[in-house]
Amino acid sequence: MLRGKTILLLRPTIRVGAQSTGGMFEANGTWTEEARRNIAVALANVQERLDNRVVAAPEAYGDANRLAEEYGSLFAAVSASVVNYQFFKGNRLPTKKRDNKADVFDWSVGPGVADLPGARDADFALFIYDYDAYGSTGRKLLQVVAMLGPRIAISSGVHTGYAGLVDLKTGDLLWLNADTHMGGDVRTPDGAEKRVRELLQGFPGSKPDPDTAPAR
Amino acid sequence: MSPLWLSSGLWVAAAMLAPITAGAETLPPTYAELYKPHGVDEIGIWQDADEDERRLTASPRVIRDEALTGYVKGVLCETVGPERCKAARVYIVRTPIFNASMAPNGTVRVFSGLLLRMRSEAELATVLGHEFGHFQSRHSVKLFKAERGASDVLSWAGLLAAMYPGRDTRRMFGDLRYSVLGHYFRYGRDTEREADRISIGYLNAGRLRPQVASEVWQHAIAEGLASAAAKGLRKPRYDTIAFADSHPPNAERAATLAALAALEGIGRDDGAARYASAMAPFLPQWLDDQIRLNDFGASAYVIEHLAEGGWTAPLWLARGDLYRLRGNPRDLVAATDFYAKAVALDPQLADAQRGLGLSLIKTGRRVEGQAALGRYLALRPDAPDAATIAMLAKEP
Repeated sequence: MLRGKTILLLRPTIRVGAQSTGGMFEANGTWTEEARRNIAVALANVQERLDNRVVAAPEAYGDANRLAEEYGSLFAAVSASVVNYQFFKGNRLPTKKRDNKADVFDWSVGPGVADLPGARDADFALFIYDYDAYGSTGRKLLQVVAMLGPRIAISSGVHTGYAGLVDLKTGDLLWLNADTHMGGDVRTPDGAEKRVRELLQGFPGSKPDPDTAPAR
Repeated sequence: MSPLWLSSGLWVAAAMLAPITAGAETLPPTYAELYKPHGVDEIGIWQDADEDERRLTASPRVIRDEALTGYVKGVLCETVGPERCKAARVYIVRTPIFNASMAPNGTVRVFSGLLLRMRSEAELATVLGHEFGHFQSRHSVKLFKAERGASDVLSWAGLLAAMYPGRDTRRMFGDLRYSVLGHYFRYGRDTEREADRISIGYLNAGRLRPQVASEVWQHAIAEGLASAAAKGLRKPRYDTIAFADSHPPNAERAATLAALAALEGIGRDDGAARYASAMAPFLPQWLDDQIRLNDFGASAYVIEHLAEGGWTAPLWLARGDLYRLRGNPRDLVAATDFYAKAVALDPQLADAQRGLGLSLIKTGRRVEGQAALGRYLALRPDAPDAATIAMLAKEP
């Protein structure tokens, strides 16, 4: 369904750090920069498989920049709603349960996206969000001791992300992939490539990827 | 002097009984090298702050007025010196609360609610000097490490407590938790005390009157009392510390700043006139934002406090709006009076004509009210509510 189109990549939101013993997020500047670089390279590598051309959104100033920022926030809010109320069991809205049965995916950020900087020369916009908190040594130690001692399960590390595709003519959300337990270490080029493949799994019109075929 | 003002003075006087070491103010430390982050934690915190600032620059809440931003930046530079001030980037944010902040990377956020409450350059310099104190003493990264340390200790202690269940263990873990958390909160308040001392040190060394610093907190107490009184709430305490308080009590801050203000500075200018003229174009909007918080006592205090230098048409208008929006019949009578005073001072003030017309109609004086609404429409024919008002103005 999606061939030979131009996809506008909006500046990905990327936050990489460690998880302290007590579970706090410790931002890591070096890791975040590496992840930003690695993910950009990985996206360029996989676009061939997507059969589409991915271009980075141009640097925007003034009102255009404000508009891009607002749509970034709006998209984050809409995709959080999709994740909370349609994707996962437990909190689904009755209307969205019905949509799931009928295979309907009906979300939009509105036709105003057509005014985004760079939107005139593209067909779709790709939003990417990535949050990684790698378990610190202290956290892992706590996890092991808790398991060996009182048999308490403590999680170590948080790796969540989502990717979404928006039609730049209508603002409709065409596709969204969210994952709360992603693989691939974004601090390394190979890991970032694996991560990007996972994020873009099921991308409309993409060739099936043997590496990340769904296990379930 | 209003009774509220007097009672705020009593709080401060009570706090002053606590001993304060005279001459213990921190003088501005030397500033040799450009401020840079050191270590993984600080670099990470800076990166987060950079991302926040990136979003802030595109935020619709930022008031993009170069004259206003330049004025506030100028006061900061005057306070901390031109060299240190190079590390700061000032943003005025339209948020109707009394606060300001400085992020570890040098992003200064000054809320419109703060600018509405400050009375002079010296008061603004007190707050900006305090925020700069947090920045130069690297309080963000220190607090981050303190919080991480506390959560580390409590995680291990919680795990140990789970391994040896029993009443004594529970009690011991409970005690430890209060001790660790209490220590952390106390540490946070101590960073605020340090920032206050840095701020008064800057004021003492500068050209503005340092005695004004204490007044910032005296006014904050008076406003808090006014707000509680209008809501019928019990009088808040300003001399005690609750367990999780982030700041020292206002009375303590006022007393400390008063005690540390250099006596030789008492004759200096406080820059009230310059401050008032820089803020004047924005007061109507900020007063409107404040009134919409639905905090009658605090808003009335802010307006009356601003009017101490003389009532102006925008201030009468704000007072009229405050009473009209509360909307009891007696409030509408009072509002009519306030709007009439605004109109008398400035007949071209369209919003005052509108408020006057609406209040008059509601209090049964239709003919006069319709005349005022007519004047509103004449002054602002393309107002968004013109059609509605025209209907009211014509109704027989």
